[in-house]
Amino acid sequence: MSLLEVENLRTHFISRDIDNQIRVAEALNDVSFTLEAGKVLGFVGETGAGKSLTAQSICGLLRPPAKVICGRVTFDGHDLTAMPADDLNALRGAEIAMVVQNPRTSLDPLTRIVDQLVRIHQAHAGGPLAASRTRAMEMMEAVGIPDPKNRANAWPHELSGGMAQRVLIAMALMNNPKLLIADEPTTGLDVTVQAQILDLLKHLTERFGMAMIIITHDLGIVAHYSDEIAVMFAGTIVEAGPVSEVFEAPGHPYTRSLIAATPERLKVGGGAKLGGQPPDLYNLPSGCALRTRCVFASDVCATPPPRTRVGPDHDVNCHFAGDLPS
Amino acid sequence: MAIPLLVGIVFVTFMLVRVGGLDPVGRLAGPTATAEEFEMIRAELGLDEPLWKQFAIYGGNVVRGDLGESWLSNRPVLTDLKERAFISIELLFWGVGIGTLIGVPIGLRAAFRPNGRFDQISRVLSLLGFSIPTYWLGLVMLFVFFYLLQWAPPGIGRISLMVSPPDHITGSYLIDGLLTARWGAVQSAAAHLVLPVICLAIVSAAPIIKQTRAIALEVLSSDAARYARASGLPPKTVRRLVLRNSATPVVTFVGTEITGLVGTMSLIEYVFAWGGLGQYGLNAIVRGDFTAVQGYVLTLALFSVIVFLIVDIIVNLIEPRSELT
Amino acid sequence: MAETVGDEFKRDRAAARPFSLKNRFIGIARVSPTLASGVIIILAFGFMAVFAHWLMPHDPVSAYPERVLKPPSAEHWFGTDGNGMDVFSRVIYGAKFGFGIAIPAVILAVAIGVPVGLVAGYRGGLLDEVLMRFFDGLRVFPSIILALAVVAATGQSLLNVVLVLGFLDSPVFARVVRSEVLSLRSSVFVESAKAAGNPTWRILFIHLLPNAIQGATAQAAVRAAWAVRISATLAFLGVGIQAPTPEWGAMIRQGAEFMVTGQWWVGIFPGIALIFLVFGLNLFGDGLQDLMDPRRRAVN
Ligand SMILES: Nc1ncnc2c1ncn2[C@@H]1O[C@H](COP(=O)(O)OP(=O)(O)O)[C@@H](O)[C@H]1O
Ligand SMILES: [Mg+2]
Repeated sequence: MSLLEVENLRTHFISRDIDNQIRVAEALNDVSFTLEAGKVLGFVGETGAGKSLTAQSICGLLRPPAKVICGRVTFDGHDLTAMPADDLNALRGAEIAMVVQNPRTSLDPLTRIVDQLVRIHQAHAGGPLAASRTRAMEMMEAVGIPDPKNRANAWPHELSGGMAQRVLIAMALMNNPKLLIADEPTTGLDVTVQAQILDLLKHLTERFGMAMIIITHDLGIVAHYSDEIAVMFAGTIVEAGPVSEVFEAPGHPYTRSLIAATPERLKVGGGAKLGGQPPDLYNLPSGCALRTRCVFASDVCATPPPRTRVGPDHDVNCHFAGDLPS
Repeated sequence: MAIPLLVGIVFVTFMLVRVGGLDPVGRLAGPTATAEEFEMIRAELGLDEPLWKQFAIYGGNVVRGDLGESWLSNRPVLTDLKERAFISIELLFWGVGIGTLIGVPIGLRAAFRPNGRFDQISRVLSLLGFSIPTYWLGLVMLFVFFYLLQWAPPGIGRISLMVSPPDHITGSYLIDGLLTARWGAVQSAAAHLVLPVICLAIVSAAPIIKQTRAIALEVLSSDAARYARASGLPPKTVRRLVLRNSATPVVTFVGTEITGLVGTMSLIEYVFAWGGLGQYGLNAIVRGDFTAVQGYVLTLALFSVIVFLIVDIIVNLIEPRSELT
Repeated sequence: MAETVGDEFKRDRAAARPFSLKNRFIGIARVSPTLASGVIIILAFGFMAVFAHWLMPHDPVSAYPERVLKPPSAEHWFGTDGNGMDVFSRVIYGAKFGFGIAIPAVILAVAIGVPVGLVAGYRGGLLDEVLMRFFDGLRVFPSIILALAVVAATGQSLLNVVLVLGFLDSPVFARVVRSEVLSLRSSVFVESAKAAGNPTWRILFIHLLPNAIQGATAQAAVRAAWAVRISATLAFLGVGIQAPTPEWGAMIRQGAEFMVTGQWWVGIFPGIALIFLVFGLNLFGDGLQDLMDPRRRAVN
């Protein structure tokens, strides 16, 4: 059994406009993927594609008007969509931990670092305070915070972005999670620090046997750090598969365009860059959402693209999957 | 920061008072005065000097603690102000204190369930509080509690005419009465305080509710609170985090609110014939007693500087980010 | 697959109705009952102000010496005041002053504040610094004290009240506009407008101003409420408008002495009218924020 199984997840923003009409932003549509224990899955896609929303839907962190319309999320045998809010809360930060984009502002500005680490441990694991403190020190070591004894008493505002991100990672590790979701963990950081943090994350997943979902809009990061890749566009996963497979033979025009736009030009050519705006979620075109931007589009694209298997564990949502000119 | 602000304010009011129409000469001289008499009064008041010199003289006097003489009371303005300051601060203290004690918890509770029933009701009530004219509220209270129910004393002054005020120590009859063990005076002073304090509390609670709610909502949607929720901290812990992070902006707001409420307080003093600084100021402005107006304005500015200072100290105690701790 | 909630709404969208005023109002009322009630109250008072002459049963300033301080009756719904004037008619007429002062005052405040905010935010530097310091200084004073002092010093006429309120209100608009401009000043679209050779005034008024309008509108309602309140307060203190002009604040002033002798109707009714108009404007200003709050639009 997989650690995480997401099936047909649909998250919509359902709201009333000022003309008394109900409007639906179809932000996630039939998102499905699985993640095995200990593996790293990379989520890529342009801003607004729904990557963060997928993570929030999984963890039950949606706020109105966002709502899971249908679908199922199975984590470690439990159905998260059917779980009572309290149980889900107990799961978050313990079994499923998160690392986010703005580490400096995400720490509680009025609590010392060590106390924040202890707090999260106490909230989930409980036990004697001294044990939590010891664990906090260990985790600060593990994430490579120099001089943890002293740093422990620092305030969040005294940390650099990279250091704050290390603290956040330490917090995520406190309760030994099975799954770590890292949502653009390096976006706000200096370029030199980015690689350090990513290396650290990769190293930690191996050391602690965690699975990780790493969300990014940088294809290079996925290529480098993950085992599997899921390419998102307008709330759907348009292509998914093992990293080597997908980069070897990208089957979706969108994936190709992403690869083409990556500076390092990872091997495969043939993808033209796709211009244009992301589609209006309130008014998604029928069929393939990429239709208006895709150079290969034809009439058939007005019908929903089928999910086609093009290689081992390699799926593509496209009418032309497998027979695009290369 | 505070000193240039004070100097600037003194200068602006000085100019406003001189250049504007608050001219006491006409009133002092009376309708039948001749041109010579006018000149004499002008010279006596120092109004025949050039403006810059007048300001220099005034500024020098202020530094020496001489705020001039009020023509309404024929006494040094400083004496008038000193006598009244504590009377007003007492009213402000109780009113704003109770207003804060009511407003902050309501605002917080509303923010924790935005758009819930409690939030809707408290919102309408706070908007209503914004809309009630202070003086009208005072009058209605007098009508209901003094005239109809006869629970409250009449709205004239701070103590019953039948009770002799306690010896002057602080200026507050309540405190002076307690200090000199004059229980009758204490009781009467407390009874006179009730209505004006309730008025001020109602009027000051409204913006505090609204602002506290807005602040807490913002903290609730901050990265820190969202991350706390994402890490599965229990709701109680998240709430604590939000409360603590709201403290600084709320304290700062209440500070600015206090200085703004001096206007409201003045109106309450006017309705209840309180005889404090606020009433003194209103009177001076309406009657054109310009030395008194200047002294009053200076006092207000000084008062806000002190309030901001206190706010700074409190914020420094809460915030690890400040340099002082 | 079974039909989901989403599909249901999708069909609803497909049958999108054309724009209608009724739907717009119902829509707004559902998203923000606050805003809708504010609109209704303001419209009601607007109606009163415009059609005052039809609605008033008596002349608001003609005295009936034989009917001084009569309690409410069929003839005089709100009773008569100390001069024997009909309080009901006076309260209705008072709406004219409410709007007559608030509307021009807010227009003046916008006319001063918006350009100042645009220029201060766009230019920055010393000008901005000086203006902001000045506004900070103004904030030290309670607005009523400031208004009172200026009106008392500059002469007591209705026009002066309007001018003073307009001036004192302008910093609010300057601030709103300035902060909007500051956040947009170095944005891509301003840079590209500059690169395209647009003159500064065009960038300010055509490109930046429209973005500040939403914030300014909410402020306009709140400031109108303030103007109505302060003008009434001035009249209550006997500054500006004087009795027996049928202005609410002045009427409350007349009623003050009768409050403790039991003739409550003289002062209470104009106060209630004043509260309602100010309340309506505040509801409107506060309700506008609801339209921007996605939580309030959620359908569950
Ligand atoms: N309140 C809302 N109403 C409608 N759409 C929303 C709302 N909030 C977010 N969205 C949409 O949800 C989509 C998914 O966003 P997100 O998951 O944050 O994207 P990303 O892939 O960049 O992480 C975005 O396109 C955004 O426009
Ligand atoms: Mg995102």
